Amino acid sequence: MRQTADQIEEEAAAWVVRLDLEGRTDGLRAELDAWLAVDVRRQGALLQAEAAWAALGGAQARAAIGAREAASGDNRGRRRFLLGGLAAGLAAAFAGLVVLGQAEHYATGVGEIRRVPLRDGSTAALDTNSEIAVSLSRGRRAVRLVRGEAWFHVAKDASRPFQVEIGQARVQAVGTAFSVRGQGQGAEVIVTEGVVRAWIKGSEGQAALLPAGVVAIVGADGQIAQTRGPAEGSGRLAWMEGKLDFRGETLAQAVVAFNRYNVRQLVIVDPELARQRIHGVFRADDPVAFARALEVTLGARVSYADPKQIRITGPRR
Amino acid sequence: MSTPRREEIVAWVVSAIMPHEAAVRGWLRRRLQSPEDIDDLIQEAYAKLAALTSLDHVERGDRYFFRIVRNLLVDKIRHARVVRIDSVADIDLMNLDTAEPGPDRITAARQELAKVAALIDALPDRYRQVVRMRRVEGLSQKEIARRLNVTESVVENDAVRGLRLVIKALKGGDAADAKSDVQGGRHASNR
Repeated sequence: MRQTADQIEEEAAAWVVRLDLEGRTDGLRAELDAWLAVDVRRQGALLQAEAAWAALGGAQARAAIGAREAASGDNRGRRRFLLGGLAAGLAAAFAGLVVLGQAEHYATGVGEIRRVPLRDGSTAALDTNSEIAVSLSRGRRAVRLVRGEAWFHVAKDASRPFQVEIGQARVQAVGTAFSVRGQGQGAEVIVTEGVVRAWIKGSEGQAALLPAGVVAIVGADGQIAQTRGPAEGSGRLAWMEGKLDFRGETLAQAVVAFNRYNVRQLVIVDPELARQRIHGVFRADDPVAFARALEVTLGARVSYADPKQIRITGPRR
Repeated sequence: MSTPRREEIVAWVVSAIMPHEAAVRGWLRRRLQSPEDIDDLIQEAYAKLAALTSLDHVERGDRYFFRIVRNLLVDKIRHARVVRIDSVADIDLMNLDTAEPGPDRITAARQELAKVAALIDALPDRYRQVVRMRRVEGLSQKEIARRLNVTESVVENDAVRGLRLVIKALKGGDAADAKSDVQGGRHASNR
């Protein structure tokens, strides 16, 4: 008969105490392996019990047990918390900061999304595989979007306009929030707060004032096309939360979006499936979960065998 | 970090996974009827962690753990042949926006280990003594038995019972917890 989780938990606790008191001898180890092999849940329960036992020797637990005198000379607890700190540190180190000349470069790799505080109090958020160069001087604040997409929340400073340069396009603000990404020689601008001024270099006379809620394409010819769609705009900025928000895009478009964030690429084999329209919010860094959702909702068949890609075919007909 | 040693995985579980177990269980309670199913699924999720060959790709333990649990749940639903996802709860399952633990939950989880400390305080004296002598003072089973004037098997039994109480407390299965988790989820979806 199948053991209950509770019975397994009891046995796992006994194992952990036994291993600790008797030591991990070869004989005991073999006995343990035999026990573990019977049910995969036992492997989980053992780890849970080991972690709880370890926590009992941790700093907080130690204080609770009331043995302050024993705290000196044993840094096991401290090492444990250092490990957590180390992981956090590694994650933080991913946002590469390279200082080149006066401009500070910030870059993200594939799948990475970063918020970067700037020295003037503004904030930049970089989408996957993006780079900005920031030069702050007394008279102006200039940012060049080298590649990718970035959103800016601009600190108010009327004496120093904040200008983003992307290809030939220019977007300027005093205190507001907006995102930009390249589109040919021009740019796409989404204004989330306040008002920005946008133009193409050389045709500043045609500059347009873009209010919040506007999505605008600043064309290389100096023409500025606006669509007012707050819903569309906010969906497009889901990347700032590490998410992709689809509102009736085709599966083909969704796959392109996912593939910008991940080394493991989604491949749609079935053209009919690729035309299906989808709705939903997904984590940008989890193509497997997205593929699973397609399996369940569209009946797609998915192959996860290849670590470099996930192949998706249509339902069996 | 190459292949993590067992101690590294255990230390990582203590600091990055265990504090979130109660929140994940709260999330599961809204989707699985039987507490036994929840216990099974959590054990299976920990088994996946035990089998990890690297921690390098894990940025945040809570999200990682949550994702494992969610995938196991999706597998369960599929194997139960409830193939079409059309109830609200099931769509929610796919919708990470509402499924992610909200910021409130994350902050709350940081206090979870402090709760463990409080729980140890509340352990029956005998269990707490044995735990202290072993985990803090590092005494041998024999020495503990001698000091407490009991047999070695009593020492072992008391340690197991103390440990079980701690594991149980980490599940945090009270109703108030489940309620705050619902609110946490809603908060996340409104961001």
